[in-house]
Amino acid sequence: MREYKIVVLGSGGVGKSALTVQFVQGIFVEKYDPTIEDSYRKQVEVDGQQCMLEILDTAGTEQFTAMRDLYMKNGQGFVLVYSITAQSTFNDLQDLREQILRVKDKDDVPMVLVGNKTDLEAERVVGKEQGSNLARHFNCSFMETSAKAKIHVNDVFFDLVRQINRRTPINSEKPKKRTCHIL
Amino acid sequence: MWRICGVSKAEPALFARNLDDDYQPTWRLWGEERVDGAIYTVYLKKVRYHRPTRSASNSESDDEISHLEWETVRVRFVKAGTVERLVEALATDDGELESTYVNVFLATYRSFAECSRVLDLLLRRYEALAAEEVHPTAVDTSLQHRKTLVACLHVWLDTYPEDFRQPPHHPALQQLLAFTQVHLPGTELHTKVLQKLAVFSAERNGGCGAGGLCLAAGMRVAAHHTSAYRLPHVPHRHFAEQLTRMDMELFKKLVPHQCLGAVWSRRDKDRNHDAATVLATVNQFNAVSFRVISTVLVEPNLRPLERAEILAAWLDIARELRVLKNFSSLKAIISGLQSNPVYRLKKTWALLAKEKAELFDELARIFSEDNNRWAQRELLMREGTAKFANTVGENDRQLQKLLHERGSPGVSHGTIPYLGTFLTDLTMIDTAIPDTVADGLINFDKRRKEFEVLAQIKLLQGAANAYHLPQDSMFDRWFDSVIVLDDRESYQLSCQIEPPTNPPKERRPKKINDSNSHCHRKNDSIASTSSSNSSQFYCETDGAAIGWKRDSLERRVSPTRLSHGSSSSSLPSLDVSLSSGNSGQKPANGKAAPPRAGPDFYIIRVTYESECAETEGVVLYKSIMLCNNERTPQVIRNAMLKLNLDGDPDGYTLAQVLPEKEMLLPANANVYYAVNTAYNLNFILRPRKTQQLEPVVNGKSRGKRP
Repeated sequence: MREYKIVVLGSGGVGKSALTVQFVQGIFVEKYDPTIEDSYRKQVEVDGQQCMLEILDTAGTEQFTAMRDLYMKNGQGFVLVYSITAQSTFNDLQDLREQILRVKDKDDVPMVLVGNKTDLEAERVVGKEQGSNLARHFNCSFMETSAKAKIHVNDVFFDLVRQINRRTPINSEKPKKRTCHIL
Repeated sequence: MWRICGVSKAEPALFARNLDDDYQPTWRLWGEERVDGAIYTVYLKKVRYHRPTRSASNSESDDEISHLEWETVRVRFVKAGTVERLVEALATDDGELESTYVNVFLATYRSFAECSRVLDLLLRRYEALAAEEVHPTAVDTSLQHRKTLVACLHVWLDTYPEDFRQPPHHPALQQLLAFTQVHLPGTELHTKVLQKLAVFSAERNGGCGAGGLCLAAGMRVAAHHTSAYRLPHVPHRHFAEQLTRMDMELFKKLVPHQCLGAVWSRRDKDRNHDAATVLATVNQFNAVSFRVISTVLVEPNLRPLERAEILAAWLDIARELRVLKNFSSLKAIISGLQSNPVYRLKKTWALLAKEKAELFDELARIFSEDNNRWAQRELLMREGTAKFANTVGENDRQLQKLLHERGSPGVSHGTIPYLGTFLTDLTMIDTAIPDTVADGLINFDKRRKEFEVLAQIKLLQGAANAYHLPQDSMFDRWFDSVIVLDDRESYQLSCQIEPPTNPPKERRPKKINDSNSHCHRKNDSIASTSSSNSSQFYCETDGAAIGWKRDSLERRVSPTRLSHGSSSSSLPSLDVSLSSGNSGQKPANGKAAPPRAGPDFYIIRVTYESECAETEGVVLYKSIMLCNNERTPQVIRNAMLKLNLDGDPDGYTLAQVLPEKEMLLPANANVYYAVNTAYNLNFILRPRKTQQLEPVVNGKSRGKRP
């Protein structure tokens, strides 16, 4: 089964963790343990293919700035999250994206821009138009989600898997060395 | 609490089949119980009724066990409740202290109630019990109950004195004082409250109370003396110990409940205040990483071998940190080495000795993100409260060798964890588990889950007392003297040391998208008016504040940046110029300078000397960039900006600090060429003697140059 390493980035308080937990476990769960080995792993079927997604959520460690490079180096696809209720979280993403491109040393990296917290429509300050314009700039896809109300959460991750598949189709992956066959 | 008397003969085995896997074999989940304002989880717990008497010679056969008597007691835990109910539950129905519950409650109550509310409820409960005492039948329980409440207050005051600080009037403490005067005069609690009050008011009145100023005095440095340490030739063990000493001080001061998701990761709260001790730890972590990055990069002229020695020195320090079980600075160093500007220096890494490269891999493996950071969690579990480091993986050859060489050290060490894992776990718990359950009752099970993490932190804090590391103020001076580069500065330096290998033409040209021109980001105006494509990147992202750097930065990166700049998607503003028809690939005139052999800038450090008494003896250096075309007035302006000084640059003089004397720079010198590079590039800015210009120190940083 193909594995996908997905990194969720964004400022503190944008609901990154809610997005991840909703996708992996479905909030709210009574018995939840964030410390076990497969807390952030989920198997899904995308376009008829089984995929294993490993989510790296940076929630709680946004301010450990020196560590971002490593997250980025290891990630294959990126979810850039802002909150539609906080303009600054939207503005912060420009720098994050630049950092990703620098670390990956590429112009084009699988990425989804996510405006979260659409359940708080009354508090919206970042327009949908603004989001889609930025996504065009970034040349990536764009979605508005509500992790709380379970809206479009899976779509974010599925889209990312498709993007990764498009850029590196399964047959173009490094062929695994088969050392010996016992027949 | 009621009891079901059981006869033991019965079926320990049968019992076992019904057990909930999560609990010890003697526990069985019985169900939930609802009362007004609370939900309890009820367990049946099997306990031995009589202790078996057996002699040493007798082996314990099945037969004997079957004659034991057991009883089953019912134990209930609060699952959820109103604040009132949760406060009541501090004592059991029998009035006994339930210590685990008290610990969980006091560590986490801030997420659902204010200090004053909880105190109020506690005191009112005491008063109610005191009033009840008229019924003679309940005297004992009531007495016990009140004793327990007093014990809770003791624990609270001892464990979380900060809750009662509430400057300037300490209302909660005053309330408690009034209470003890009435109900418990002359008791230990009464005395404790009076003492706490005295301490708080002394701190408020005494000038040097909190230690801030005292610390500053301790850091006083003989004027313009910089540190004697210089990488790579530093004592590794000593450096590791000093880093550990710094971490330990912060870790011991860490207030665990500030790590809670509801406090630390909520954007709407004021972290500087509510999570100050967490922030201090994070800042120290970053400071260590930044020092790794900057010491590796800051001298672009080093030979690759010399730079590799600096990498090796950090790895040696990291190795010592592993022995000291300081996982915070250890991870900070590894993160610094893995940061893009350092990690991409392939030629430098290639010169690292084989065993050093192995060591790096082994240390980095500790912090692998794989399987939810399993390696790191496992290690902390094994060594957290152990006396010394003793865990290595099968493939960790260098670490095996290290631990073998050291044997078991005579002194035991504490442990300093990397806090980030706990912060992530607590954030996730806060997200995944709801604050309230049905009927709006406070979900106390969530608090228990959080407490599992907090308890680990507390345990490690206790273990940290095992460190005994004296302070070396020369190390502190070295630490403070290392300049800190921001993301871009370090990347540019890195590219200067080893230009990017990825040839620009291989880059996929970005699709031109008309809609980009409709984007209303602030950079559009800059982009459309600027004649130079390459400068937009810096204009736009850094803002005008460092606009002055633009020329120098541009020049440094020009060979690569310019040639592929127009195809790089990291430059959103470029799309605008492209779509407006200016898609010619020719770089701007005269910018494509050939790569230079040496740097065309230095990073210099400037301090400000004023007549002010309170800064006397303290030297605070700020780093600025010095480009090869900058003359004295410009450099003074840059320095003033960094030091937050207002006024006319002509009112200041700039001098380089040399061992014997100072070298005053002429009013219009090319500073880059004028400086003496044989010595440290330390400068001093002074108000010019002849003019009496009053410098205005401005606390806030400014967004742009005047």
